[in-house]
Amino acid sequence: MGVGKSCLLHQFTEKKFMADCPHTIGVEFGTRIIEVAGQKIKLQIWDTAGQERFRAVTRSYYRGAAGALMVYDITRRSTYNHLSSWLTDTRNLTNPSTVIFLIGNKSDLDGQRDVTYEEAKQFADENGLMFVEASAKTGQNVEEAFLETAKKIYQSIQDGRLDLNAAESGVQHKPASPGRPLAAPPAARDNCAC
Amino acid sequence: MDDVLDEVVSSEDLQKFEKVFHEQLHQGKVTHKAQFEYAWCLVRSKYPTDIRKGILLLKELFNSHPEGKRDYLFYLAIGNARIKEYNKASHYVKSFLEIEPANQQVLALERQINKRMEKEGLLEIAFCSSDECRCRRSSLL
Repeated sequence: MGVGKSCLLHQFTEKKFMADCPHTIGVEFGTRIIEVAGQKIKLQIWDTAGQERFRAVTRSYYRGAAGALMVYDITRRSTYNHLSSWLTDTRNLTNPSTVIFLIGNKSDLDGQRDVTYEEAKQFADENGLMFVEASAKTGQNVEEAFLETAKKIYQSIQDGRLDLNAAESGVQHKPASPGRPLAAPPAARDNCAC
Repeated sequence: MDDVLDEVVSSEDLQKFEKVFHEQLHQGKVTHKAQFEYAWCLVRSKYPTDIRKGILLLKELFNSHPEGKRDYLFYLAIGNARIKEYNKASHYVKSFLEIEPANQQVLALERQINKRMEKEGLLEIAFCSSDECRCRRSSLL
Protein backbone atom coordinates (compact mmCIF):
# COMPACT_ATOMS: atom_id res chain seq x y z
CA MET A 1 0.00 0.00 0.00
CA GLY A 2 1.30 3.42 -0.94
CA VAL A 3 0.86 6.90 0.49
CA GLY A 4 -1.46 7.77 -2.41
CA LYS A 5 0.53 9.96 -4.79
CA SER A 6 -1.14 8.56 -7.93
CA CYS A 7 -4.57 8.81 -6.29
CA LEU A 8 -3.93 12.48 -5.46
CA LEU A 9 -2.87 13.12 -9.04
CA HIS A 10 -5.90 11.25 -10.40
CA GLN A 11 -8.21 13.22 -8.12
CA PHE A 12 -6.62 16.45 -9.35
CA THR A 13 -6.67 15.65 -13.08
CA GLU A 14 -9.84 13.52 -13.32
CA LYS A 15 -11.74 14.62 -10.20
CA LYS A 16 -12.29 10.98 -9.35
CA PHE A 17 -11.04 8.63 -6.67
CA MET A 18 -9.19 5.57 -7.87
CA ALA A 19 -10.25 2.97 -5.31
CA ASP A 20 -7.96 0.19 -6.44
CA CYS A 21 -4.63 1.84 -6.94
CA PRO A 22 -1.71 -0.53 -7.56
CA HIS A 23 1.94 0.48 -7.16
CA THR A 24 3.08 2.84 -9.91
CA ILE A 25 5.68 1.47 -12.27
CA GLY A 26 8.50 3.96 -12.83
CA VAL A 27 6.87 7.27 -13.65
CA GLU A 28 3.43 8.41 -14.71
CA PHE A 29 2.42 11.72 -16.25
CA GLY A 30 -0.56 13.93 -15.68
CA THR A 31 -1.49 17.35 -17.01
CA ARG A 32 -4.12 19.93 -16.25
CA ILE A 33 -4.60 23.49 -17.39
CA ILE A 34 -5.38 25.91 -14.60
CA GLU A 35 -5.64 29.64 -14.29
CA VAL A 36 -3.46 31.76 -12.04
CA ALA A 37 -3.90 35.54 -11.96
CA GLY A 38 -5.81 35.41 -15.23
CA GLN A 39 -3.06 33.46 -17.00
CA LYS A 40 -3.62 29.96 -18.37
CA ILE A 41 -0.97 27.63 -17.04
CA LYS A 42 -0.45 24.05 -18.09
CA LEU A 43 0.79 21.96 -15.21
CA GLN A 44 2.81 18.96 -16.19
CA ILE A 45 2.94 16.62 -13.25
CA TRP A 46 5.32 13.69 -13.01
CA ASP A 47 4.19 11.04 -10.60
CA THR A 48 7.19 9.01 -9.50
CA ALA A 49 6.97 5.47 -8.13
CA GLY A 50 7.54 5.26 -4.40
CA GLN A 51 9.06 1.82 -4.18
CA GLU A 52 12.75 1.62 -3.42
CA ARG A 53 13.75 -0.24 -6.59
CA PHE A 54 12.69 2.73 -8.72
CA ARG A 55 14.35 5.36 -6.62
CA ALA A 56 17.74 5.57 -8.35
CA VAL A 57 16.21 6.29 -11.75
CA THR A 58 13.26 8.44 -10.61
CA ARG A 59 15.75 10.80 -8.97
CA SER A 60 16.55 12.21 -12.40
CA TYR A 61 12.95 13.38 -12.76
CA TYR A 62 13.43 15.88 -9.92
CA ARG A 63 15.89 17.88 -11.98
CA GLY A 64 14.39 21.01 -13.40
CA ALA A 65 11.11 20.72 -11.48
CA ALA A 66 9.56 24.06 -10.60
CA GLY A 67 7.64 22.44 -7.78
CA ALA A 68 7.62 19.22 -5.81
CA LEU A 69 4.82 17.65 -3.81
CA MET A 70 6.03 15.34 -1.09
CA VAL A 71 3.43 12.97 0.31
CA TYR A 72 3.09 10.89 3.48
CA ASP A 73 0.18 8.90 4.92
CA ILE A 74 -1.22 10.32 8.17
CA THR A 75 -2.21 6.81 9.30
CA ARG A 76 1.28 5.33 8.99
CA ARG A 77 4.05 6.87 11.01
CA SER A 78 6.79 5.07 9.05
CA THR A 79 5.89 7.10 5.95
CA TYR A 80 6.26 10.30 7.96
CA ASN A 81 9.59 9.17 9.39
CA HIS A 82 10.98 8.80 5.87
CA LEU A 83 10.23 12.41 4.95
CA SER A 84 13.64 13.79 5.84
CA SER A 85 15.38 11.38 3.45
CA TRP A 86 12.98 12.32 0.60
CA LEU A 87 13.45 15.98 1.44
CA THR A 88 17.23 15.63 1.27
CA ASP A 89 16.92 14.07 -2.19
CA THR A 90 14.54 16.78 -3.33
CA ARG A 91 16.73 19.59 -2.05
CA ASN A 92 19.88 18.09 -3.53
CA LEU A 93 18.37 17.54 -6.95
CA THR A 94 16.24 20.66 -7.45
CA ASN A 95 16.91 24.40 -7.54
CA PRO A 96 16.81 26.58 -4.44
CA SER A 97 13.73 28.22 -5.98
CA THR A 98 11.80 24.94 -6.33
CA VAL A 99 8.57 25.13 -4.35
CA ILE A 100 8.18 22.14 -2.03
CA PHE A 101 4.74 21.27 -0.74
CA LEU A 102 4.15 18.66 1.97
CA ILE A 103 0.87 16.72 1.85
CA GLY A 104 -0.42 14.50 4.66
CA ASN A 105 -2.75 12.25 2.68
CA LYS A 106 -5.73 10.13 3.86
CA SER A 107 -7.17 12.84 6.11
CA ASP A 108 -10.53 11.06 5.80
CA LEU A 109 -9.11 8.29 8.04
CA ASP A 110 -8.85 10.53 11.10
CA GLY A 111 -9.74 7.65 13.44
CA GLN A 112 -6.59 5.79 12.39
CA ARG A 113 -4.36 8.83 12.61
CA ASP A 114 -0.74 8.11 13.54
CA VAL A 115 0.77 11.58 12.95
CA THR A 116 -0.77 14.73 14.42
CA TYR A 117 -1.41 17.79 12.31
CA GLU A 118 0.65 19.93 14.70
CA GLU A 119 3.72 17.74 14.50
CA ALA A 120 3.75 17.71 10.69
CA LYS A 121 3.03 21.44 10.56
CA GLN A 122 6.04 22.07 12.76
CA PHE A 123 8.23 19.89 10.54
CA ALA A 124 6.99 21.82 7.50
CA ASP A 125 7.62 25.20 9.14
CA GLU A 126 11.11 24.24 10.28
CA ASN A 127 11.97 23.18 6.74
CA GLY A 128 10.26 26.00 4.92
CA LEU A 129 7.66 23.78 3.25
CA MET A 130 4.05 24.56 2.48
CA PHE A 131 1.76 22.05 4.17
CA VAL A 132 -1.76 20.72 4.05
CA GLU A 133 -3.59 17.56 5.06
CA ALA A 134 -5.64 16.21 2.18
CA SER A 135 -7.75 13.27 1.09
CA ALA A 136 -7.51 11.79 -2.38
CA LYS A 137 -10.68 9.86 -1.48
CA THR A 138 -12.97 12.77 -0.62
CA GLY A 139 -11.02 15.32 -2.64
CA GLN A 140 -10.54 17.54 0.42
CA ASN A 141 -7.66 20.02 -0.09
CA VAL A 142 -6.37 18.22 -3.21
CA GLU A 143 -7.17 21.06 -5.56
CA GLU A 144 -5.74 23.51 -3.02
CA ALA A 145 -2.39 21.72 -2.74
CA PHE A 146 -1.75 21.74 -6.48
CA LEU A 147 -3.12 25.24 -7.03
CA GLU A 148 -1.17 26.72 -4.12
CA THR A 149 2.02 25.16 -5.50
CA ALA A 150 1.31 26.67 -8.91
CA LYS A 151 0.55 30.08 -7.36
CA LYS A 152 3.78 30.00 -5.41
CA ILE A 153 5.74 29.17 -8.57
CA TYR A 154 3.96 31.99 -10.38
CA GLN A 155 4.89 34.38 -7.57
CA SER A 156 8.52 33.28 -7.76
CA ILE A 157 8.51 34.22 -11.43
CA GLN A 158 6.88 37.57 -10.73
CA ASP A 159 9.38 38.32 -7.95
CA GLY A 160 12.28 37.38 -10.22
CA ARG A 161 13.41 34.53 -7.94
CA LEU A 162 12.77 32.04 -10.70
CA ASP A 163 14.57 32.82 -13.93
CA LEU A 164 12.56 31.61 -16.90
CA ASN A 165 15.64 31.65 -19.09
CA ALA A 166 17.50 29.21 -16.88
CA ALA A 167 17.59 25.77 -18.48
CA GLU A 168 16.35 24.06 -15.34
CA SER A 169 13.65 26.49 -14.21
CA GLY A 170 10.99 23.91 -15.10
CA VAL A 171 8.87 26.64 -16.65
CA GLN A 172 8.35 27.48 -20.30
CA HIS A 173 6.74 30.65 -21.41
CA LYS A 174 4.72 30.34 -24.55
CA PRO A 175 3.59 33.70 -25.90
CA ALA A 176 -0.08 33.64 -26.80
CA SER A 177 -0.78 33.18 -30.47
CA PRO A 178 -4.20 33.79 -32.00
CA GLY A 179 -6.60 31.03 -31.08
CA ARG A 180 -4.25 29.45 -28.60
CA PRO A 181 -4.23 29.85 -24.86
CA LEU A 182 -1.16 31.10 -23.09
CA ALA A 183 0.53 28.03 -21.75
CA ALA A 184 3.40 28.14 -19.34
CA PRO A 185 3.97 24.79 -17.71
CA PRO A 186 5.45 24.79 -14.26
CA ALA A 187 6.26 21.14 -13.83
CA ALA A 188 5.12 20.18 -10.40
CA ARG A 189 6.46 16.79 -9.63
CA ASP A 190 4.59 14.50 -7.42
CA ASN A 191 7.52 13.25 -5.48
CA CYS A 192 7.34 10.65 -2.98
CA ALA A 193 7.50 9.44 0.52
CA CYS A 194 6.49 5.91 1.22
CA MET B 1 5.48 16.22 -23.55
CA ASP B 2 2.42 14.53 -22.06
CA ASP B 3 3.15 11.10 -23.36
CA VAL B 4 5.20 8.39 -21.70
CA LEU B 5 6.25 7.16 -25.18
CA ASP B 6 7.87 10.50 -26.03
CA GLU B 7 10.00 10.75 -22.96
CA VAL B 8 13.74 10.55 -23.64
CA VAL B 9 16.45 9.61 -21.14
CA SER B 10 19.28 12.09 -20.57
CA SER B 11 22.67 10.95 -21.83
CA GLU B 12 24.16 11.45 -18.33
CA ASP B 13 21.65 9.00 -16.89
CA LEU B 14 22.20 6.48 -19.63
CA GLN B 15 25.97 6.63 -19.10
CA LYS B 16 25.65 6.48 -15.33
CA PHE B 17 23.57 3.30 -15.30
CA GLU B 18 25.54 1.79 -18.17
CA LYS B 19 28.72 2.17 -16.13
CA VAL B 20 27.25 0.38 -13.11
CA PHE B 21 25.97 -2.44 -15.32
CA HIS B 22 29.30 -2.90 -17.06
CA GLU B 23 31.27 -2.84 -13.83
CA GLN B 24 29.07 -5.62 -12.47
CA LEU B 25 29.36 -7.48 -15.77
CA HIS B 26 33.15 -7.45 -15.49
CA GLN B 27 32.96 -8.72 -11.94
CA GLY B 28 30.82 -11.57 -13.21
CA LYS B 29 27.69 -10.81 -11.19
CA VAL B 30 25.00 -8.46 -12.46
CA THR B 31 22.23 -7.71 -9.98
CA HIS B 32 18.59 -7.52 -11.12
CA LYS B 33 18.57 -3.94 -9.92
CA ALA B 34 21.52 -2.82 -12.06
CA GLN B 35 20.21 -4.64 -15.12
CA PHE B 36 16.72 -3.17 -14.71
CA GLU B 37 17.97 0.38 -14.17
CA TYR B 38 20.15 0.16 -17.27
CA ALA B 39 17.37 -1.44 -19.35
CA TRP B 40 14.87 1.19 -18.15
CA CYS B 41 17.23 3.91 -19.45
CA LEU B 42 17.92 2.06 -22.71
CA VAL B 43 14.25 1.72 -23.69
CA ARG B 44 13.90 5.50 -23.25
CA SER B 45 16.84 6.24 -25.56
CA LYS B 46 16.33 8.05 -28.83
CA TYR B 47 18.37 5.39 -30.65
CA PRO B 48 16.54 2.22 -31.76
CA THR B 49 19.72 0.14 -31.22
CA ASP B 50 19.71 1.10 -27.53
CA ILE B 51 16.00 0.34 -27.27
CA ARG B 52 16.52 -3.12 -28.79
CA LYS B 53 19.32 -3.79 -26.33
CA GLY B 54 17.03 -2.69 -23.49
CA ILE B 55 14.35 -5.08 -24.71
CA LEU B 56 16.80 -7.99 -24.65
CA LEU B 57 17.89 -7.17 -21.10
CA LEU B 58 14.25 -6.91 -19.99
CA LYS B 59 13.41 -10.27 -21.59
CA GLU B 60 16.29 -11.85 -19.67
CA LEU B 61 15.00 -10.32 -16.45
CA PHE B 62 11.46 -11.43 -17.20
CA ASN B 63 12.67 -15.03 -17.43
CA SER B 64 15.01 -14.96 -14.44
CA HIS B 65 13.29 -12.74 -11.87
CA PRO B 66 9.57 -13.49 -11.45
CA GLU B 67 9.09 -10.92 -8.65
CA GLY B 68 9.64 -8.05 -11.06
CA LYS B 69 7.46 -9.35 -13.90
CA ARG B 70 4.97 -6.49 -13.95
CA ASP B 71 7.75 -3.89 -14.24
CA TYR B 72 9.44 -5.83 -17.03
CA LEU B 73 6.21 -6.32 -18.98
CA PHE B 74 5.45 -2.62 -18.74
CA TYR B 75 8.83 -1.52 -20.10
CA LEU B 76 8.83 -4.27 -22.73
CA ALA B 77 5.59 -2.70 -23.99
CA ILE B 78 7.10 0.80 -23.95
CA GLY B 79 10.32 -0.28 -25.67
CA ASN B 80 8.49 -2.10 -28.44
CA ALA B 81 6.05 0.76 -28.98
CA ARG B 82 8.97 3.18 -29.29
CA ILE B 83 10.48 1.18 -32.14
CA LYS B 84 7.00 0.89 -33.69
CA GLU B 85 6.67 -2.81 -32.97
CA TYR B 86 3.08 -2.13 -32.01
CA ASN B 87 1.83 -5.71 -32.19
CA LYS B 88 4.50 -6.85 -29.75
CA ALA B 89 3.80 -3.85 -27.52
CA SER B 90 0.08 -4.71 -27.48
CA HIS B 91 0.91 -8.30 -26.64
CA TYR B 92 2.86 -7.24 -23.54
CA VAL B 93 0.12 -4.83 -22.50
CA LYS B 94 -2.47 -7.59 -22.84
CA SER B 95 -0.35 -10.00 -20.79
CA PHE B 96 -0.13 -7.35 -18.08
CA LEU B 97 -3.86 -6.67 -18.13
CA GLU B 98 -4.62 -10.36 -17.77
CA ILE B 99 -3.06 -10.13 -14.31
CA GLU B 100 -4.20 -6.60 -13.40
CA PRO B 101 -7.18 -5.75 -15.66
CA ALA B 102 -7.98 -2.43 -13.96
CA ASN B 103 -4.47 -0.95 -13.89
CA GLN B 104 -4.98 2.66 -15.00
CA GLN B 105 -1.33 3.23 -15.86
CA VAL B 106 -1.29 0.28 -18.24
CA LEU B 107 -4.74 1.07 -19.66
CA ALA B 108 -3.44 4.57 -20.45
CA LEU B 109 -0.39 3.07 -22.16
CA GLU B 110 -2.69 0.81 -24.19
CA ARG B 111 -4.67 3.86 -25.34
CA GLN B 112 -1.47 5.63 -26.41
CA ILE B 113 -0.26 2.59 -28.34
CA ASN B 114 -3.64 2.26 -30.08
CA LYS B 115 -3.63 5.96 -30.92
CA ARG B 116 -0.22 5.64 -32.56
CA MET B 117 -1.22 2.54 -34.46
CA GLU B 118 -4.25 4.33 -35.79
CA LYS B 119 -2.36 7.48 -36.64
CA GLU B 120 0.44 5.68 -38.43
CA GLY B 121 -1.99 3.25 -40.07
CA LEU B 122 -3.94 6.17 -41.47
CA LEU B 123 -0.76 7.84 -42.64
CA GLU B 124 0.12 4.72 -44.57
CA ILE B 125 -3.27 4.83 -46.32
CA ALA B 126 -2.75 8.50 -47.11
CA PHE B 127 0.65 7.74 -48.66
CA CYS B 128 -0.85 4.89 -50.66
CA SER B 129 -3.62 7.01 -52.07
CA SER B 130 -1.29 9.85 -52.97
CA ASP B 131 0.91 7.26 -54.70
CA GLU B 132 -2.13 6.02 -56.52
CA CYS B 133 -2.89 9.56 -57.57
CA ARG B 134 0.63 9.93 -58.80
CA CYS B 135 0.39 6.61 -60.66
CA ARG B 136 -2.89 7.62 -62.23
CA ARG B 137 -1.50 10.98 -63.16
CA SER B 138 1.61 9.44 -64.68
CA SER B 139 -0.46 6.98 -66.70
CA LEU B 140 -2.60 9.84 -67.94
CA LEU B 141 0.52 11.64 -69.00
